[in-house]
Amino acid sequence: MRFDSRLPDDAVNVSPTHPAREALTLVAGVAVGVMALVVVLAIAIEAVIPWIPPSFEARIFSNRWLASARNTDADRQAPELDDLLARLAVHWADNPYDLHIVAIDDPTPNAFAFPGGWIGVTTGLLDSVESENELAFVVAHEIGHFRDRDHLRGIGRGLAFALAMSALGLTTTNAAMRVATISGDLTARAFDRSQESRADRFALAVVAAEYGHVGGAMDFLTRLPRPEDGAHDGIRHYFSTHPLGEKRTDALRLWVRENGWPDEGPLRPWSGRAFGSAE
Amino acid sequence: MDPAIESLIDLGLPLAFLVGTYFVGSAIEARHYRSIRAREGALQRLPAVTFRSVPAGWEVLESGLVTGSVVISVDYFKRFLAALRNLVGGRVKSYESLLDRGRREALLRMKEEAAARGCSAVINVRLETTRMANSRRGGQGTAGLEVIAFGTGLRLRGDPA
Amino acid sequence: MIHSNTETVPGMQIVHFYGVVTGSTVRAKHIGRDIMASLKNLVGGELTGYTELLQEARNDALERMTQQAESLGANAVVNVRFSTSSIAQGAAELFAYGTAVRVE
Repeated sequence: MRFDSRLPDDAVNVSPTHPAREALTLVAGVAVGVMALVVVLAIAIEAVIPWIPPSFEARIFSNRWLASARNTDADRQAPELDDLLARLAVHWADNPYDLHIVAIDDPTPNAFAFPGGWIGVTTGLLDSVESENELAFVVAHEIGHFRDRDHLRGIGRGLAFALAMSALGLTTTNAAMRVATISGDLTARAFDRSQESRADRFALAVVAAEYGHVGGAMDFLTRLPRPEDGAHDGIRHYFSTHPLGEKRTDALRLWVRENGWPDEGPLRPWSGRAFGSAE
Repeated sequence: MDPAIESLIDLGLPLAFLVGTYFVGSAIEARHYRSIRAREGALQRLPAVTFRSVPAGWEVLESGLVTGSVVISVDYFKRFLAALRNLVGGRVKSYESLLDRGRREALLRMKEEAAARGCSAVINVRLETTRMANSRRGGQGTAGLEVIAFGTGLRLRGDPA
Repeated sequence: MIHSNTETVPGMQIVHFYGVVTGSTVRAKHIGRDIMASLKNLVGGELTGYTELLQEARNDALERMTQQAESLGANAVVNVRFSTSSIAQGAAELFAYGTAVRVE
């Protein structure tokens, strides 16, 4: 046998795809896959939620820790808070929840709906509202979340997504995980925004039923995009977790007009205004 | 810190890493390939074969083991692509060029050693590839890939026909 | 293209030999196979998903090696050897190599 010294085709073992293109295809593929997963999970959770009765919810999620986070000084305001809650809850005809409200010691204005029928408002929020109507709007908004079982959705989705991510996390690097998590986040946020709108609408209906107008509530909403005063900076924080864009306030204004609710009217002062200063 | 800036850094830094390592990695790879091709051309006349039999007509004066090895590191961009591939499956194209380079480099080094020792052919060539694990991440990362090529170099009377 | 893992093709003569030709692919499993494999790890048995994957990869590698041999004008590859190595977590390289020759 004789030796033939020619060189072989050396491109055989390398794919011709340009790495940048491969990167784009892969990232897009993974992003789409994760978004689809989030959507599927959300649908699955929607199917499960109606089967969880509020009594069951209350049994599982005992809120003993709330008692410890509760600001004992706020007990002075508690009867007024309970009274407000009772008045507002009346407007939800088929309320299956045994609703409670607590004031949470926290200087940042915020409000929460905890599973089991508990609403929490921070002392920071109580300090920054300018009228009872505003506080009523916030509380009614949280009641709206209960009505739509939004809190369960949030927990369910968060849990399912975390499980999926940890399963993936076993097999992949940080950067790739980040791609997956960001896509998941963005999709989930779209869901959140529609939930918030629904809660807002319910809240406006309740406020209109209680006070005869939505003034105060609308003020609250319109104050946000222009936080010139330092006093309102705190409120902007509350809404940064419930992002409120111009489009949304406009949509709500339109809805108010459609329902024929007056957007001006006498505001009831919130008696807890002085609360929060050190004594 | 402003959450907007935080998320910008959160996203921007890895992205910058990816882009940076992509460009630097490609430049290094291109340069390596140029060197490989040049040396392959130079060593064209030295046959390397995997079989054991000495072709008839060759007079062997001396024989000995010749080896060539190289450890190539995996860059951040390639690892990122491989991680994404791990989710969807399929060919991990980013690693292909890495292994191709490693193998060709190892073979070249083996031939170069053979040539340096006066051999004009290498028979019974074998190739082995191993992953060097990253000692820090509990052995999970890939520090580099080692490729070794070894065979029997033959010093012949005259040229390989 | 004739493949053989013996020194020569039985019954034929090598007239020219070219050199080492290689073919390799790096394959990653996807998340579905991964999950099935984890489940199988509990009960034991053949991981058919992985077997198929590596089978495909091996054929792919042989294909590439053949391509390289053809580019040289060879009509057989002798002394074919396989090697599987783990490249990264979840990715394996299937590697086939042999000597490209011309037989008659």
